[in-house]
Amino acid sequence: MALKERPKPFLLPEYCKGCGRCLDACVKDCITMSDQINPLTGLVPVDLDLTNCNACGLCMDACPEPYGLRPAHEGEIQDFELEDPAKLFGVRPSDAPEPVDLPSEVLPLPRTEPLVIKGTYASALGALLAGCRHVYGYPITPSTEGAELMAKFLPKLDGTFIQAVSEVATVNMMYGTAGAGLPCMTFTSSPGFSLMLEGVSYMIGAELPGVFVDVMRGGPGLGNIAPEQSDIKLACHGLGHGNTQAITLAPSTPQEMLDLTMLAFELSFKYRNPVIILGDGYLGQMTGKVQLPETLIKPGIPKWAVYGDAMHRKNVITSIFLTESDLEAHNEHLNRKYAAMQVEVRSESYLCDDAEVLLVACNTPARTAKGAVQELRHRGVKAGLFRPITLWPFPVEALVAAMKGVQRIVVVEASAGQLEDEMRLALSKAGVRAFPEFESVRRMGGILPQQDEITAQVLGRKEVRA
Amino acid sequence: MSKASVFYDRFERHSHGEGLKGHATHYCPGCGHGLAHKFLADAIDDLGIQDRTVAVSPVGCSVFLYYYFDVGNTQAAHGRAPAVALGHKFANPESVVVSYQGDGDLASIGLAETVATAQLGAPITVIFINNAIYGMTGGQMAPTTLMGQTSSTSPAGRNEYMGQPLKMAEMIAGLDGPVYVERVALYDAKQRIKAKKAIQKALKLQMEGKGYSFIEVLAECPTHLKMNPEDTEKWVKECMEPVYPLGVKKDLTVDPWFKRNPPSFDGKKLLNLAGATSEQPERFCQGFPNQVAPHDVSLKLAGSGGDGAQTAAMLIARAAITEGFDATHIPSYGPESRGGTSYADVHVAEEEVLNPGSPTPDILIAFNAPSLAKFGPTVKKGGTVIYDSSVVSDAPALDPSVKLVPVPFTGIATDLGKAVVKNIVALGALQAATGLFPKETFLTSIRQALKDKCALIPLNEEAFAWGIKAVESLGE
Ligand SMILES: Cc1ncc(C[n+]2csc(CCOP(=O)(O)OP(=O)(O)O)c2C)c(N)n1
Ligand code: SF4
Ligand code: SF4
Ligand code: SF4
Ligand SMILES: [Mg+2]
Repeated sequence: MALKERPKPFLLPEYCKGCGRCLDACVKDCITMSDQINPLTGLVPVDLDLTNCNACGLCMDACPEPYGLRPAHEGEIQDFELEDPAKLFGVRPSDAPEPVDLPSEVLPLPRTEPLVIKGTYASALGALLAGCRHVYGYPITPSTEGAELMAKFLPKLDGTFIQAVSEVATVNMMYGTAGAGLPCMTFTSSPGFSLMLEGVSYMIGAELPGVFVDVMRGGPGLGNIAPEQSDIKLACHGLGHGNTQAITLAPSTPQEMLDLTMLAFELSFKYRNPVIILGDGYLGQMTGKVQLPETLIKPGIPKWAVYGDAMHRKNVITSIFLTESDLEAHNEHLNRKYAAMQVEVRSESYLCDDAEVLLVACNTPARTAKGAVQELRHRGVKAGLFRPITLWPFPVEALVAAMKGVQRIVVVEASAGQLEDEMRLALSKAGVRAFPEFESVRRMGGILPQQDEITAQVLGRKEVRA
Repeated sequence: MSKASVFYDRFERHSHGEGLKGHATHYCPGCGHGLAHKFLADAIDDLGIQDRTVAVSPVGCSVFLYYYFDVGNTQAAHGRAPAVALGHKFANPESVVVSYQGDGDLASIGLAETVATAQLGAPITVIFINNAIYGMTGGQMAPTTLMGQTSSTSPAGRNEYMGQPLKMAEMIAGLDGPVYVERVALYDAKQRIKAKKAIQKALKLQMEGKGYSFIEVLAECPTHLKMNPEDTEKWVKECMEPVYPLGVKKDLTVDPWFKRNPPSFDGKKLLNLAGATSEQPERFCQGFPNQVAPHDVSLKLAGSGGDGAQTAAMLIARAAITEGFDATHIPSYGPESRGGTSYADVHVAEEEVLNPGSPTPDILIAFNAPSLAKFGPTVKKGGTVIYDSSVVSDAPALDPSVKLVPVPFTGIATDLGKAVVKNIVALGALQAATGLFPKETFLTSIRQALKDKCALIPLNEEAFAWGIKAVESLGE
């Protein structure tokens, strides 16, 4: 058998940067610096004189450029200088196949009796039912039970739970799994959510799905571990740097913790964007009735994923758009997505039709407010409750409808006015200027507004005293 | 003409592949990144893993690694490449994941991810380009910058106030997670061959599921060393290498261990884990206990840590839901749960629990005197207070409309031989004093909760019965 002849090097001078690293690699002194600047590159390339070349290949190993010094195989063009590079190297960027969507499957589940479980558990079950088998997290009260349940269940489902070194690592593990096209999520609470925001911005930029369950607690700083609606502004208007938005859901019952977590996965893949679930510490700990759905999702792999197989080889996950016009176009694309997300608004209007006093609240305070509505109705006050379920996009049309005929609006919240700010912004953007001055019942520091505080605020004013 | 290894035929992502950029890298002449890329590409090619490879580009000069490699590509935030790599690896354990990082990225901002990922030991391959400088941002000091070396943030040379150069390969080799750690260089033909081999070996260990590997590459940054490429090679050899000795730092022989089954989407399995059943529970209630409170009964159970208030609360909520009502239970929460106190707010509603808090309960179950003193006065007019008369000697004066039910929870439980069942005694008392639900409703809930500890059921049934008897005897 004839030994295959080793190839000698060849070089397109245009692709030589003239670094000279090949010079001392050649013991046969075949390579010298040219004495002319290449007019195309403005650099001085090397000259090859292969008379003494023994094809040892060392020069090629020394050249940092992929298309610099390369082996010239038999039958290939040697007289390269006359050739068009496109012809030489082809114009296809890759011979990788064109990926297609591998769709999710909806599998039937038997109807089961309602469970009696905590909000965080309900959310964890919702994630499992939505097909999530990758959960990353860093312990933080009052969200940890969600992660603990996942740590217990996922190994039994051949899923992955990793306790990350920090929330920063958590969100970046999510970035990886989401980049591979699979559903993933985390449980966190306010300080941890703050720490994740850089990663959330990257996920939005790179158009990656992922679900963040933020069981909010008192702030700022370490604050405390009691319930506060402290991150509404972060979720709605502060998701890290850049032009970022994400659908933000505010459950108020354990059942909604499950339902909205499932919805979050769906929306997250539909829009290729993270979805935030804002719970509060109370809701996370609260046990209630939870009816499981009658279907289970087995996720597919979307065509854009970098799964690490032949089909998805041509894909890239990145948030970089180096050219200004490319980045502007990308932002316009994101804006179109944000506009499309407006149809996802959700809200509940409770006894609003004839209401004269409208309470507005979300999460646990909305339940307290509901109790207050009932009490006020008993006392003859026509009270109603408007409960936004999506905080972004804000259900402003439904709010305007609920505000019809209303004389007073009382915003009930466990924060310094973060919900009210969302309302004001949404009303202002919708061009709604005429509405009664907002009154508020606000508690902070981990204290939730109580029913008697709400009724006192409403009844405290003479004109509506029944 | 075939393409160069696993590099793209044309670098479409490099300024849309226009002009020379379609076939030239963005690296400065003589940059070590280019060589490391080439050796990585060769290894991927030689091992036949192009389709399975996911390359994670860092932030640093090699941020655009994805311009060049015809493999699955992901670009990570500064320092986070190892975390991103793990996310990929666990998503698809068959993939071969490479985290390619510079010294600022890996040894400074991403140090926590670097160390934690190495120690986790899951098979990924880290290629660490140590060029002793922040290349991309214009030549600032890196954690690996040598003592005395000037940079734009150590203009007079790195001195003792700036810390010592960080020896990553040694540090990573000192961890238990990695199976293979080597430091290589690019400055001459011999080193380049070693570098090539090391990268290939690292990938192979990953393919075999043997573990995490770390290759530190001493690389040239001629631009920020302000030298020509040849002198930079010499500098790496003469100045860097003495501080960062080359060679294998760790090489374990291990059996393949990273084997992961595909995730299960078996609905039955999931329902079992969740404890969900399709079995219709027996129901005993004729209707909602409107005699206690119309449509919504609010309860508070209060005691100290070991009293079992939370378990009792949970049993009430479960019983209610089994009967087709709505119910909620909120445990005492936050700082309240410290210091040995334990409160639970429970609601049982005909349709829907509106406010789940119990600031003014219809029923209070108090396990000790402080709880009774604190919450007794909050009980609604006409409500019921059941308390442990074994530990409360003087009940406070409450609204005359409030029904006071003293029951020796502790005494009865102790007589039964187990003080912990005092909460079940309390449930019996609750049943008898208020008729919240029929006896069978409570008993079913108790038996259900103990279905994995059947031996305890008779004791609990007895405790429940004694609670009822104690209340009945009060009326006598
Ligand atoms: C969070 C964050 N902080 C700072 C930067 C700016 N930055 C970009 S690259 C870099 C240093 C890169 O140095 P190194 O990792 O050594 O890579 P090299 O360019 O030398 O290959 C820094 C600080 C950033 N992109 N993100
Ligand atoms: S193949 Fe060997 S002999 Fe030929 S030019 Fe290159 S280094 Fe010199
Ligand atoms: S190593 Fe490559 S880029 Fe550098 S001078 Fe030689 S051929 Fe040119
Ligand atoms: S600045 Fe240094 S590390 Fe960056 S491309 Fe240039 S030579 Fe390479
Ligand atoms: Mg560097």
